[in-house]
Amino acid sequence: MQYRDAELRNRLAAEYVLGTLSWRARRRFEAALRQNPGLRNAVADWERRLLPLAGSLPELNPPARVWRAIQVRLRHARAPHRWWDNLVLWRAAAGTAMLLLALALLLPPSQQEELPPRMVVVMEDLQNRTPAMTISWTPDGTGEKKIQIRVIGHAEMAPDTEWELWLLPDPEKPPVSLGLISTHEFQIMRVPAELNRHLDAAWGLAMSVEPKGGSPTGVPSGPVLYRGQCVKA
Amino acid sequence: MTKDGIQELLARCALGEEQAFSALYRTCAPKLFAVAVRITRRADWAEDVLQESFVNIWHHAQRYNPDKSAPMTWMTAIVRNRALDLLRRPRQADGSEEEYQAALAAIPDDTPGPAELLQRSTDARRLAECLQQLSEEQQRSITLAFFHGLSHGELAAHLGKPLGSVKTWIRRGLDRLRACLDGS
Repeated sequence: MQYRDAELRNRLAAEYVLGTLSWRARRRFEAALRQNPGLRNAVADWERRLLPLAGSLPELNPPARVWRAIQVRLRHARAPHRWWDNLVLWRAAAGTAMLLLALALLLPPSQQEELPPRMVVVMEDLQNRTPAMTISWTPDGTGEKKIQIRVIGHAEMAPDTEWELWLLPDPEKPPVSLGLISTHEFQIMRVPAELNRHLDAAWGLAMSVEPKGGSPTGVPSGPVLYRGQCVKA
Repeated sequence: MTKDGIQELLARCALGEEQAFSALYRTCAPKLFAVAVRITRRADWAEDVLQESFVNIWHHAQRYNPDKSAPMTWMTAIVRNRALDLLRRPRQADGSEEEYQAALAAIPDDTPGPAELLQRSTDARRLAECLQQLSEEQQRSITLAFFHGLSHGELAAHLGKPLGSVKTWIRRGLDRLRACLDGS
């Protein structure tokens, strides 16, 4: 798509801010947004124009559990920084350090007794062998499951591509798609109940680069960028 | 709280001050939650959106630039983008498509209009004046899309009008809004 035409740029930015673009169009637009400062300015202008509308809605108090969940996540996010400071240790013993990171992420020392078991996957960038993403969830239970994804560093998604997350039942069996993810630092993905059991028993997870809309074949069709093994913490 | 007050809280969040973050949440969460509930139409999704947005606000507070946008605008954009991503995401086969269609059909036409906006801040008042200059169809399509996150196709279905007309109302409506808002 041509984003240089000022009028088209303005129109797309307006519809992006208004919210009428489809999922695909939004993804494509956001990819262009990262590379095009003119487009970013057009979006900022439309946000300034339209978002004051939101102020006319009557306020609605969120339930207290939202604030509690935010606090828990900030506590978890703080823990890994201590490990990150120590990159030498990492490189010296990447495998062990991965496991330690996984534990540090989930078990800040003072909280150890209170936390339920978690499944943790440290997704490794297969090219440069560095951790790229952590994924965790609470095993067991029935119904829809929420898995928490944290993208480490500043990941870039190539234009016109998507990231698809895969469950690896065991190294020999074909992967099962969990859905598409974004480059946002913190994300929650909902996994339908029927995949629940497979998720808890999974050997690992993988992330592949796919065309818009995800893999057309049902198995990874593009390169697998990240992969990690499940660890029960 | 005033715009400057919220701006100060954000600046303190950027320095890692947790008390400021908690005050920011208390002040702004009810406004932002209302935005998320309208768009996602599901309380549990809206809670996730609010949670993720505030985690991001905390981590990216240092990226907020007061010269570029008002603090509420910056936070509202974060919440709306999250909510729209969740809403537009390709749905998995878990029956949610039906629930979603039912929720879509049940949208009440109670979007706040220019009259409510008139009582708000100066920015909102200006917007209200400009909205009032649009045709009724333009105004209605734009506010429905804005508050309920309806796509062009959903708007056409909801209003019972051809897709082409809806697209034109929105495009012309946005053009007129821009001319009105930037012209003053």
